[in-house]
Amino acid sequence: MHGRAGRTGLIAFDRKAPGLTGIAVRGFLLSLITFGIYRFWYITELRRFFWSRTLIDGSPAEYTGRGKELFLGFLVALAILIPLYIAIFVASISVPALAPFAGALSFPILFVLGQFALYRGRRYRASRTFWRGIRLGQDGSGIAYALMAAGWWLLTLLTFGLAFPFMRASLERYRIDHTLVGSSRMSSTATGRSILGPWLLFYSVALLPVILSLAVAFAGLGFAIPEDLLVERGSRTILNPAYDSVTKTAIGFSVVGALGFGTVAGVLLIPFYRARETKAFMNAASLGPARLASTLRAGQFYWPYLVYFLSLIGFVLLILVIAVLLGGGLHLAGSQSGMHIAIALGTIVLYLGGALLVAVLHVRLIQARLWEAVATTTVIDDADGLDAVLASSRAQASGLNEGMADALDLGGAIEIGL
Amino acid sequence: MAASQASGTYFDGLTARPHPVTLRLTDRLEIVGRDISVAWDLADIVAGETPPPLMRLSVVGESARIEFTDEVFARAVFVLCPDLYRPEARDAGGRWRLVLWSVAAGLSVLLVAIYGVPALAVRLAPLVPDAIESRLGAAVDGQIVNILGDPPACNDAPAQAVLDRLVARMIQGRGLPSDLRLTVRRHAMANALTLPGGRVIVLSNLIAQAQNADEFAAILAHEFGHVVARDPTRSLIQATGSSFLLSLVLGDLTGSTIIVALGQAAVSAGYSRDAERTADDYAVTMMEAAGGDAFALATMLERIAKDDAKDGAKDGSKRNLTNFLRSHPFTAERAARIRALASPGSAGRRILPDEDWAVLKRICTKAAPATEP
Ligand SMILES: [Zn+2]
Repeated sequence: MHGRAGRTGLIAFDRKAPGLTGIAVRGFLLSLITFGIYRFWYITELRRFFWSRTLIDGSPAEYTGRGKELFLGFLVALAILIPLYIAIFVASISVPALAPFAGALSFPILFVLGQFALYRGRRYRASRTFWRGIRLGQDGSGIAYALMAAGWWLLTLLTFGLAFPFMRASLERYRIDHTLVGSSRMSSTATGRSILGPWLLFYSVALLPVILSLAVAFAGLGFAIPEDLLVERGSRTILNPAYDSVTKTAIGFSVVGALGFGTVAGVLLIPFYRARETKAFMNAASLGPARLASTLRAGQFYWPYLVYFLSLIGFVLLILVIAVLLGGGLHLAGSQSGMHIAIALGTIVLYLGGALLVAVLHVRLIQARLWEAVATTTVIDDADGLDAVLASSRAQASGLNEGMADALDLGGAIEIGL
Repeated sequence: MAASQASGTYFDGLTARPHPVTLRLTDRLEIVGRDISVAWDLADIVAGETPPPLMRLSVVGESARIEFTDEVFARAVFVLCPDLYRPEARDAGGRWRLVLWSVAAGLSVLLVAIYGVPALAVRLAPLVPDAIESRLGAAVDGQIVNILGDPPACNDAPAQAVLDRLVARMIQGRGLPSDLRLTVRRHAMANALTLPGGRVIVLSNLIAQAQNADEFAAILAHEFGHVVARDPTRSLIQATGSSFLLSLVLGDLTGSTIIVALGQAAVSAGYSRDAERTADDYAVTMMEAAGGDAFALATMLERIAKDDAKDGAKDGSKRNLTNFLRSHPFTAERAARIRALASPGSAGRRILPDEDWAVLKRICTKAAPATEP
């Protein structure tokens, strides 16, 4: 502490986001007619929008990435992945003993590859980001990050999920500590302990019942999976009928019940955990003397999700009503083929309209509102410290690896936000 | 004109430090502040994307920036700088070119999937080594049996003996693969499937629906025709290749599609019209050589077509011959062709004595009760 109260810098984002709906509608429609190829340009456009509307201490960020770079990355990723898939396929055909393990074998390879792609994708986004004419960047090794992530996930699985917050903090520290603004390095003091509380709450409500019921079922069967629990019937593997009574009572009810409860509780608690984690990680980040401070509340995460899910449910109900009406229409129409075509066309239009609506709502509610919640609750303490940031002469990173993340279908791998 | 003027903030591109400056538009953009005196050529100035009224200007290729919020000054800049929004204009033009190109690319991949892959599969199928083909067959066999709901294999010993003798007589000297494997499985569907690697699965209801040994043998002969032509392997390559290409275009590349295609290809086994004709020709020749009724296949096909028409009239009745029809289309046309090809002398001949046919029909009596769908 210097003893002097530094100036506080604000981060601003206009929640009305004028123009965003147009980008989303155009992006969805063009992606549709171009067999999805336009998505790289769409995501680029979205990023340019979000970056440019985010004012950090009065100056908007700049995104200079191009859709072409992401698309080329995707093509290169295909060139790497297709031979890999074919090799796995050929291996499982030519060595029949290997076939059952082909999935188990390819998963770790693809997981590590995916984490590598995620890290390098972040590097690409950072290197296409400018603020006050100064380019951001990320160093560190994608391979090291991927191996670290793999190790942490293994540990998380071995500890039944208890290591999860420590994994999150460790990976966050690696990401932030290797993020550069110009030649100034950011740093993070994120700790697993700071998010242990929210995680334990989530864990004990959503995950523990499932784990416990599985453990009880396990104990009920004598602390070992009986070798004859699964038996071969013909070429299929089924539960041994001899265990019917045990399975129906102990395993059946407790596991199914816990799973159902855990899923609902999990869905309800995820925004809470995400908000608390975001706040803790924001508070831990700094750039030289300038520190981020977040006052994010979980409620600000719940609201967008709630509105989004309510609109989805409303839309599904509407579809159901229309489907019932259409069914009646079909019945009345009998064998008039003109009517059938009209109804089929109507269904297609309705489906596409629904998909468009969902896509727009997702961008406006989930992406924009969450972005706004995080941005506007964050301030920069000692903002004058930012003045000391110096430009650097690093080369920009290539977009190849973000394309790989897309090709690997990592849900939302092409992210908005660093 | 009078020089427009506004106050703004200058960033030199070297540090993030904001410098308060006065901006003045003359024949150049003058940026003047403490220790700062810069002038930019109007033709070089571009504007970045920012939320209005904030405006950010820079010079192409340089990292210095100015930011200001004066709307009158912004309008003056807009009027005087010719290439202010050049990058955006270029992007908008590029967008339509991009859309055209990607639609063209998508269509071309579609066309390759529909026409190119089958053509490629015809040439690739003969190149697949026998060992790989028989492994493929084993993999598909397991899947098919699973999909059909684990129908039990039928092997009533006397019936099996009759069947083995019949098959041996039919394939004698015809160069079929030595590891030809014919299995009968108890199932309510009347169908016969040929899998890669010389595997033929006959579902028991087909035997029940056949009115004599020659009808049954004719269908076997037809399936052997597919074996000789390696149709299952070709169709497998084709379905895998096409679905792989399509999933590539549609962006799903999890690899799961390949596995799904394996099963689909074999179950639907919809061969081309040409492949069916060739298999029919083969069946006619084989039936004649084996001393059977070469017209039997046509008779069976015609009965299927008739049953199918009846099914269409009273929907809901579960006549199972339609299954065979669905995977073996163009029935009437094929029957006519078979009748034209078959030599009249073979009509009415019997490939098996009636008592042997009666034994063969009981092949599934000892099998465990099937889990019929
Ligand atoms: Zn056929």
